[in-house]
Amino acid sequence: MSSVTRPRREADFARFPSSTPIVIDNGASTFRIGWAGEAEPRLSFRNVVQRPRHRSTGETVSIVGDTDPSLMKFFDCTRSAVRSPFDDDVVYQFEYMEYILDYGFDRLGANSEVGHPILMTECECNPSFSRARMSELLFETYGVPSIAFGIDNAFSYKYNQKLGNCNEDGLAISCEHGTCHVVPFLKGQPVLGACCRTNVGGFHITDFLRQLLSLKYPYHMASITWEKAEELKKEHCYIALDYMAELQIFKNNKEEADEKMRYWQLPWVPPPKEEPPSEEELARKAALKEKASQRLRDMAAQKRSQKIAELEKQLSYLEEVMEQLDEAEEQEATVILGRSGYLSQQEIKSAILKATQSLRKAKGESNGNDEKTDASAADKYPLVSVPDETLTPEQLKEKKKQILLKTTTEGKLRAKQKRAEEEALREKQEEKRRAENPELYLEELRARYSELSEKFEQRKRQKVNGGQTNGNHSSSGGVGRGERLNAAQKERMRLLASAAFDRGKGEDTFGMRDEDWLVYNKMSKDNDDDSNDDDESELVRITSKLQEIDPTFVSKSEAVQLTPEPPKVRPLTAEDYRIAIGIERFRCPEVLFQPGMIGIDQAGIDEMVSISLRRLMEDESVKERLCQSILVTGGSSLFPGMIPRLESGIRQYRPYLAPLKLVRAADPILDAWRGAAAFAASSKFGKQTFSLADYREHGENLFHRHNIVYSL
Amino acid sequence: MESEVVRTEMVLAPTLPFKKMQTADKYPKGQSRGRQWKHLRHLLQSADASSMPPDRPNYMNIQSPPSIYPPKRYCDLTGFEAPYVDPRTKLRYADPEVFKQIRMLPDEYVQRYLALRNAAVILR
Repeated sequence: MSSVTRPRREADFARFPSSTPIVIDNGASTFRIGWAGEAEPRLSFRNVVQRPRHRSTGETVSIVGDTDPSLMKFFDCTRSAVRSPFDDDVVYQFEYMEYILDYGFDRLGANSEVGHPILMTECECNPSFSRARMSELLFETYGVPSIAFGIDNAFSYKYNQKLGNCNEDGLAISCEHGTCHVVPFLKGQPVLGACCRTNVGGFHITDFLRQLLSLKYPYHMASITWEKAEELKKEHCYIALDYMAELQIFKNNKEEADEKMRYWQLPWVPPPKEEPPSEEELARKAALKEKASQRLRDMAAQKRSQKIAELEKQLSYLEEVMEQLDEAEEQEATVILGRSGYLSQQEIKSAILKATQSLRKAKGESNGNDEKTDASAADKYPLVSVPDETLTPEQLKEKKKQILLKTTTEGKLRAKQKRAEEEALREKQEEKRRAENPELYLEELRARYSELSEKFEQRKRQKVNGGQTNGNHSSSGGVGRGERLNAAQKERMRLLASAAFDRGKGEDTFGMRDEDWLVYNKMSKDNDDDSNDDDESELVRITSKLQEIDPTFVSKSEAVQLTPEPPKVRPLTAEDYRIAIGIERFRCPEVLFQPGMIGIDQAGIDEMVSISLRRLMEDESVKERLCQSILVTGGSSLFPGMIPRLESGIRQYRPYLAPLKLVRAADPILDAWRGAAAFAASSKFGKQTFSLADYREHGENLFHRHNIVYSL
Repeated sequence: MESEVVRTEMVLAPTLPFKKMQTADKYPKGQSRGRQWKHLRHLLQSADASSMPPDRPNYMNIQSPPSIYPPKRYCDLTGFEAPYVDPRTKLRYADPEVFKQIRMLPDEYVQRYLALRNAAVILR
């Protein structure tokens, strides 16, 4: 697909005399055109058209066949898909057919006119409207002198008969692009009344594969294009000899199935890895950090020394003042005080005390605070031990309070101690029980755990979900359109609504009682009742215990949390960009044998043989003769395993030990064109064609009667 | 037009000398091109009866009938033989593992899986 070579224009169109027919194998997948009598078609391309808009000029252009994807960037393909003129195996869109024929004749080198007889292939029993429109197109638009239509499978059969692959009487099984045919041949002539068609073909296989893969890998849907699916089909698909047995292999036999898996790695670039910093880098960083902290330390030290100096200065000044005051007279003292800015000697003293304290602090000396706290703890309740007689009424009150406080704290302490003792006792008992019968103990523990966790979960669920577990609700917390509110939210909405519409209903007595205000608590968004605290703590205890003694134990909440977590944080690896094709390898081609798999209610190709033989009103001996020359042709017959599977399939519909011989066509794809080219080269070909004059004379009736004679 | 496009001769020329009637004349711009091509099924239905006499082989009557064997049921997701059908999504499934997967599938995917075998619910 990546290397699409566009065909060159042939230069030797003028060399051929006007009597040489142009042979066109107009297949639903591929269009092949060439000259009668030659061994190979001059060109073949995919029978599709797309009409995108050219980006820079804005004109709509027609592009026929496969294209180089890198060149498609110049075109705007949003409104044009790749289109085929075929529906199943019948041409029905003649506008597209015209583009394709244009391209075909253009590449073949036509200059001034087409001017050659045309032999074109068609499907079995092509509806006459399709034939009529095709002839109209060829006569009126291209001025073709005469036309003949022939069945592609018949040409393929005749060609292989010439090669000696099959007899004059036989069957052709053809698996094509849109359909499968079985055509019986008697004396080298197809018996159309006995042929049969199922509308399943290579197209359906590719489409099935594409759909399955894109459903399996929704993230890579864009990468799974039609062309890629076609490529995968051609490369990896095969037909299972026994479909059920093959399924069993994939279901039960892991190793063999792994061998049969194929992987397609999508282009994937690993994200840039963060390299651990080198030694040098680390050292550099550490040095930088050290430098910065050193600077900070220096700054702090400087500041401290500054402060100390300042304090010392202040202190010496204050001491000086004090000394002066001590020595000075009353009069002088006020002057000194006024100068110093302090009001009294007392004040200066306290300032000195403060300064010395802060100096000590600044110098980093401890100031004996520890003892003080101890002391305060000791006499927290100083009045308790003092006799009542010595106390004032206020102190008595205080004493009462202190006694109360003391008893409660002591009670709390005692209770705590008791609880711890009980806990220890229980532990001991449990240990004993465990030692006696570890199995039973574990069993009990587990039972208790599951009971508790069940209860807990249920409560949680009720809270979240309102008790309605209705299958696949999304677990996301947000309440989107159409999603149900949970029970708590519902209750809240109900309260709000009733509060809103309560107005005007009699007297407004809200707030008369204290309980009224509780409603706001309920309305607030986060009202979690903690009534189940006990259960929760018990659950936690048992969980820890189980984790301790049971190696296989996995906490439920953990298990729940673990599973959805990883994909979120796990970085994408090449594996995520790998598309595995296992069962699809034989599941997709199986639709040829079981069209019911894709909803087509028709017989598969093996059964078609029996239907065709039944339709053929002949003796059993004739049927036996036909079955000894079965030719398998068409592009979809190229799957490995096709012939053995067909053989075993057909054998089921034939009498016991009836002879059966299947042959694959020499080239299932090109044989039809080659047969047609050989047919057109024969001297009697001219009698098989019809001209514009014939068409004008007979009209549409001509097409009902037009059946060429293949054995010339 | 870009040189690569011209060099590869990708685009079909609007007028070709060998044609008696050019596409542009046949389908003038702005006019309806009769794009509404009927599908083959409709064409066959509308074709007049005389063009398809029942006694002669024609496109319709060479079709294969349904198989004489009952169709096998396969799991829509895995392709294994499917003994079960999910009553809600109508998807067939092979084992409980797949069933879990099915219940997780968004509705769009369920419909796409059903469409694979022509069983999707089509709302009109």
